[in-house]
Amino acid sequence: MAKLNIAQDVGHTGAAMAAPHGILRRLLTEWPQLGIVVALIATVLVFTAIDRAFFSGYNFVNIFLQSSITAILAIAETLVIITAGIDLSIGSALALTAVVAGLLMKAGFGLPLAVLGSLLTGAAAGLLNGALVTLTGITPFVVTLGTMSIFSGLALIASGGQTVYGLPQAFNELLAGSAGPIPIPIIIALIVLVITAAIMSTTKLGEYMVAIGGAKEVARLAGINVTLYTAAAYVIASVLAAVAGLVTIARLGAADPILGQDLLLPAIAAAVMGGADLMGGEGSMLGAVVGALLIATLQAGLTFLNVQAFYQQVAIGVVIILALLFNRLQKGGR
Amino acid sequence: MQVQPRHPLLLLEGVSKSWPGVKALDDVRIELFAGEIHALIGENGAGKSTLLKVLFGVHEPDTGTLHIEGDLVQLGSPSDAMANGISMVHQELSLVPQLSAVQNIVLGREKSTGGFIDWTAARQDALTALKRLDFAPNPNVPVRRLSVGQQQIVELARALAIDAKIIILDEPTASLSLHESQKLFAILRELRQAGHALVYVSHRLAEVFDLADRATVLRDGKYIGTVVRGPELTEKTLVRMMVGRGLDDVEILPETPPGEPVLEVRDFTRAGAFRDISFEVRRGEIVGMAGMIGAGRTEVARCIVGADRRDTGSIRIRGKEMVIASPADAVKAGIAFLTEDRKHQGLALRMSLAKNATLPVTPTRFGFIDRARQNEMATSSLARASAHMPITRLAGQLSGGNQQKVVLAKWLLTKSDIFIFDEPTRGIDVGAKAEIYALMRKLTEHGAGILMISSEMPELLRMSDRILVMHEGDMAGELTRAEASEERVVSYASGGTSWQS
Repeated sequence: MAKLNIAQDVGHTGAAMAAPHGILRRLLTEWPQLGIVVALIATVLVFTAIDRAFFSGYNFVNIFLQSSITAILAIAETLVIITAGIDLSIGSALALTAVVAGLLMKAGFGLPLAVLGSLLTGAAAGLLNGALVTLTGITPFVVTLGTMSIFSGLALIASGGQTVYGLPQAFNELLAGSAGPIPIPIIIALIVLVITAAIMSTTKLGEYMVAIGGAKEVARLAGINVTLYTAAAYVIASVLAAVAGLVTIARLGAADPILGQDLLLPAIAAAVMGGADLMGGEGSMLGAVVGALLIATLQAGLTFLNVQAFYQQVAIGVVIILALLFNRLQKGGR
Repeated sequence: MQVQPRHPLLLLEGVSKSWPGVKALDDVRIELFAGEIHALIGENGAGKSTLLKVLFGVHEPDTGTLHIEGDLVQLGSPSDAMANGISMVHQELSLVPQLSAVQNIVLGREKSTGGFIDWTAARQDALTALKRLDFAPNPNVPVRRLSVGQQQIVELARALAIDAKIIILDEPTASLSLHESQKLFAILRELRQAGHALVYVSHRLAEVFDLADRATVLRDGKYIGTVVRGPELTEKTLVRMMVGRGLDDVEILPETPPGEPVLEVRDFTRAGAFRDISFEVRRGEIVGMAGMIGAGRTEVARCIVGADRRDTGSIRIRGKEMVIASPADAVKAGIAFLTEDRKHQGLALRMSLAKNATLPVTPTRFGFIDRARQNEMATSSLARASAHMPITRLAGQLSGGNQQKVVLAKWLLTKSDIFIFDEPTRGIDVGAKAEIYALMRKLTEHGAGILMISSEMPELLRMSDRILVMHEGDMAGELTRAEASEERVVSYASGGTSWQS
């Protein structure tokens, strides 16, 4: 019951604070991603205040580049979270699809076939997730926990546990080079953002994923094919993991079967900071990308200030929790 | 409204549906004509929900036929039902909270080219339907920001947008205020005028008398009969058909005059919720509290039990000034608060009845729970609350009426003598209602004082010794049992300062 009191108090102070800032409140309600954008700007300003040299074009391009893979994975994760699911296997799917691409190229298949093979592997991985989630009724958390292990095992088996070296230079340049001053990975992330945002706002697929995540039974009664659209989210997510995998190996020049293991948590964190609701029905592609940018900015800034990597992890965790706390307060107010 | 003997719009006959061990429907029939409001009534478990689900294509019946406009049809899914002009407004609102009114109205039927939704057509489609229902709010914001009443209008708009000739409404007023209900009724009458057939399910018989042209009664999965509007459509007939026996009116005038005050509330104010509320509840009386939803009644109750803070005001319990800063203090002071939302605030649904009933007073021995004592306490308390069920059952498995009894059993164990009931019989069927009323009477006979917040007029008039009426946070008036009438309560509740009759 003490909990009740606290909730009431928060609501109360929230309302009292909002009264003179009606416009701000409205902005937040109409555009919930404003919080994360403000957090990003504030982070940049703080680092700049500490050291003016942080504010440079070179640094920013670097931050965008560093965040591009996390951003693609965060978008993938957001799509699944919108359907009230979660995909723990995207990191492993990234490793598996990367290894497949690497092996295909090494075996002498051309670039188009290697890329296609990798994307198809991703689609198959997503289809497995989607089928298990929709047909068995096992919760997405458990299904993808299982497939996470399966995909990573398959990546190790396929590669014999060895990193696949010697990717063609043309491939590396195509996906990790730069177009003028802009690195290609940034452009790929932007394309993914534009396409997925368009899917969410203009197509049945996007609309139905929101409906399913927001109220599954309502969607079912409205005649929506819940199985199909839920599974589609997992397929798209794993295909995006393959895209992220291709960019990763192009940057590294090699396909390591243990890639992607440290990318899962930042991807989920970025998705949730960007407004994805783990209960489903809500999430923003742009928000996910901004979330990824925030994480990359923190990493870059802390490295810039010569903060040890161990402390960086703690600091990033604190910022993620603060951002989510802010989201929570914002939601409590409406 | 006369029902001419013509071709029925819909005829469902000989419908049976069983699940292993349960016969939910047994040779049931219902017939609908264009331009009628057809009430479907029966106690919980009578088979209403199953029948509705058969009508809407959710369940396929084991036997039986369905004719729509004379043609034999089979409904395999809700989409089939909608394609045949049948739409349903569900009891639990069936909107996607994150989507806007427009998006919800066209959900599942979006016109699209190559997967891209034609939003211009969708908006036009939705707005046309909303306009017919005089929907004022912004149709482009997520519907969770709308009031329950407004959401209901959106649901109706969805039914209109698919051009449904038959609209099924499952307890549409369950969470609406008086004002919103009346607006809904006006809309329903217009739809009837326009030739729609409406199936109306409600626990509130008053609404049935108000609206229905005919009423079909189910009991234990069987068709009992259909009553046409007229002298036969009375509470007595319907209740007898529903419960299978006459129900003695539970109206009992208090035999002893009320005793000394047990609860005195003075000058309660909470900014934005209510102002200067003062009243008292005496031993042996039931004080009704009427008002529209949003008038501040529940808020007053929450402040009494310390769940919310008040800005000003004092409280006297059994004549002594007390500080009640938290619900724990209220329990200690002997105040029981039976919330409207039993499922979330009254019971732990996954725990047994024994554990639920003894939750505030769980007996222990050397720090371990004394199970034998717990079961004994639960058994006796549940018996006092006339909840005759095994104490090992889970609270979530009970019907609304039995859940309310378990909540009451819990409070009986705390030895409370001040009871605040918030909508004590919401969602509870007629038979169980009478039992709850009898229990409330028994409490007062034993010297308890009861504050009963209620939106149901018959309940207020029948149970209350006095009725307090709130309007937009103010105490608008107080009526004695002799003065109380529906018109006077409504007049105060809607802001009238005096009543004439």
